[in-house]
Amino acid sequence: MTEEVHSRPLPPSGAPAAAAVGPTLMTRIDQVLEGLWHLLSSMRVAMIVMLIIAALGVVGALVVQAPTGTLDNPAAKATWLDEIRPRFGGWTNIMDTLQLFQIFNSIYFRILVAALTISLIACSVHRVPGIWRTATKPRVDVGPQFFEHAPQRDAIVVRRTAAETQTIVEAVLRERRYRTQVMGDEVVSVYADRFRWAPIAGLVGHLSLVVILLGGIIGAIFGYRDSGFTVAEGQTLPVASEPGLSIQLLDFTDKYDPVFGGPIDYASQIVVFKDGEEIDRHTILVNDPYRYGSTSIYQAFFGVAAVMTIKDAEGNTLVSTGVPLAWRTTADNRPVGSVTVPGANEVIWLVGTLGSGDNLIKPGQIQVELYTAGEARRIAVDVVDQGVATQLGDLTVTFERESQFTGLNVARDPGVMLVWLGSTLLFFGFSVRFTVPHKRLWARIVNRPNGGAVLAMAALGSRGVAGSSDFDDLVNDMRTALQTPAQN
Amino acid sequence: MEKLSGYAFIAAALSVGLATFFYLLYAISGLRAARMETAGLPATSGVLGLISGPRTATIGRYATMLAWLGTVALLAGLAFRTIATGHGPFSNMYEFSMAFAFGILIAYLYFERKYHQRILGLVCLPVAMGMMLYAFSVPSEIRPLVPALQNSLLLTVHVATAIVAYGSFAIAFGTSYLYLLQTGSALTVVLATLVGGLAAIVGGVTGDASDGLVYGMSATAITLFVMAIVNRITGGERAPGAAASESPSGRWGLPKPLVLDEIGYRAVVVGFPFMTLTIVLGAVWAQTAWGTYWQWDPKETASLFTWFIYGAFLHARVMRGWRGTRSAWLLILGFLATLLTYFGNLIFGGLHSYSGL
Repeated sequence: MTEEVHSRPLPPSGAPAAAAVGPTLMTRIDQVLEGLWHLLSSMRVAMIVMLIIAALGVVGALVVQAPTGTLDNPAAKATWLDEIRPRFGGWTNIMDTLQLFQIFNSIYFRILVAALTISLIACSVHRVPGIWRTATKPRVDVGPQFFEHAPQRDAIVVRRTAAETQTIVEAVLRERRYRTQVMGDEVVSVYADRFRWAPIAGLVGHLSLVVILLGGIIGAIFGYRDSGFTVAEGQTLPVASEPGLSIQLLDFTDKYDPVFGGPIDYASQIVVFKDGEEIDRHTILVNDPYRYGSTSIYQAFFGVAAVMTIKDAEGNTLVSTGVPLAWRTTADNRPVGSVTVPGANEVIWLVGTLGSGDNLIKPGQIQVELYTAGEARRIAVDVVDQGVATQLGDLTVTFERESQFTGLNVARDPGVMLVWLGSTLLFFGFSVRFTVPHKRLWARIVNRPNGGAVLAMAALGSRGVAGSSDFDDLVNDMRTALQTPAQN
Repeated sequence: MEKLSGYAFIAAALSVGLATFFYLLYAISGLRAARMETAGLPATSGVLGLISGPRTATIGRYATMLAWLGTVALLAGLAFRTIATGHGPFSNMYEFSMAFAFGILIAYLYFERKYHQRILGLVCLPVAMGMMLYAFSVPSEIRPLVPALQNSLLLTVHVATAIVAYGSFAIAFGTSYLYLLQTGSALTVVLATLVGGLAAIVGGVTGDASDGLVYGMSATAITLFVMAIVNRITGGERAPGAAASESPSGRWGLPKPLVLDEIGYRAVVVGFPFMTLTIVLGAVWAQTAWGTYWQWDPKETASLFTWFIYGAFLHARVMRGWRGTRSAWLLILGFLATLLTYFGNLIFGGLHSYSGL
């Protein structure tokens, strides 16, 4: 578009004023785009965005965040907001409107992350030509003024000719693994550098953040996560992320330290089935997940389950399994779980005891509530004793015994490898950028009228204020190498 | 071994405490020597015979020797603790705080040796001492690792890298503190230190260590904020420009501001990659243990906040040539964020709460 504007012929002198609108408009568009580009490639903008994200992070750490998925469900959201209302009072709804309870999923946080991503890409693209030019076509002759004003500079008067001095200077630089470029005869200009591709590491470090963000986006869009996959002992359930895969929990164990009482082990022994065939057995520990294909299954939580037997009116067993009591009632925080009755349009909810002080549901009892599946209408309710068959509607329900369930985290994240790649690049990129600087040195050798020559040397960067710098060391080496035998 | 470890930690605390006292003497002696030099008096004729030039160097040497002694004792304590527990000494706040103090001491001794600036000990050693005192205030008994921490390799590497990063950031804090003392922010810095320190003591005495931390950090932040407004309204303390930051010599016998500025930068250059590695390794561990590499847990978020601040500092310095007062304040903010990351779980809870880590 820029070329189009500049190649457009000038309007004839007698042309109407309206004809000038085209180029003016294009120039304005050009200016706007240029301004936008400057904004996006501005390091200051990137830093401001980064600091705002960091500040929002602090707000997110200070303000309680809603569990994943809670705010997507209106009923769950209302319940959760009621739970935290005593803490925030009248501010609760305002904070909810401002998305402060889901700050990392909020619209403005996403916009900021997008802006940061674009800014990082623009900054990197903006810097590539300069880095490339500096590495491949450095400026050898920088003029005499540079040697008087450079932050690091020194000069040596030598008793050698400019040509001899040049040879020695190049030899010293080569010994220190500098690349050299020379130009001029009367006045010899020398450019030397080392680690000329090191600035690329900075670009790698920046773009690695984009790679990490990309990994996160891919994981969010194409990944699968079930953080509440609950299986009771003896129960077998399909894993949704891998067709045909199902797992059965043989046993869950939680061990505690006998002295301090703290947990020391959570272990879920599972059997893995593929299309009904047993293919594997594994014990899932907190730091030892089970992996199948691209799916991983992690130990997350555990709790009480109720082993139930449900029979129909003819005495046929409809259900004989453990039911995880994985949720809590909002009213009195009792453990609760549900099981669908096969072949009947009915669901049974089971409510567990709170323990020895519970008079409503005593230890060894469970409350059984029978609902219709569709409209959730309660048909019958009863508190049943363990081992006693109880009639509930058309069904005979027996609470066989208490057992345990395990809560697993099932995850498939196709973006995670990109995250690790980005993290590796991030570490090495920034480590190299800050520890391996692109060292550049300019020298100028001029013959003196009465014999000998003057070698002036200069470099960018600050002088070694806290000890000798590479530049000082290099100058000392030069001084030693340039001494004539008589000076030794 | 557990008892031996405890004795070694006490020996370390005594050595570091004594070293801090000697660094204070060293600073006073240096200040006096600087005043005498300014007044044209010979630097070897102190009134008490304690504050002359050669004596200054001797006191400094004793301070450094004591700091080394404390570091070696701390290392021994950590080694005994490792043998006693069977894993790296990073599984609770007691062990982690001792290791943090060790990180600060080793970073200080490295930078002292490299840049010959002993006076940094005046700021860095009290921070290490504070960490050790905090460690003594929390339970120290050896308990079995909770399931989430039962990953010996990642536990060791993740926390060890954090210690190197935090230790380096403590040095950057020390240099910035001494820089700001000299360049027109002395009143603000001293006031914030006194108010914050007092609030921390009150909070610690009336409540517990985390109360002390919250009180101290809040009071420091409020004081800094109030002083910023006061300075803005009154024109307050002299706003140092480039000339002040490039002052050729230090005030009150302190190192030159430019030297402090450079050492602070070098400390962050060491600490930043380690902070990056700490966060990355934490993500790897979270993925292994919980199946997700990032959950916006308060400690994760605070570490990212800290990383952003030091990243911004390095960018500002390398790309825009930021030096002096602005970068010094950024490093002070960075260290406050580091402390927030370190203690954040005590305040916010979250996934790192299981062992106080």
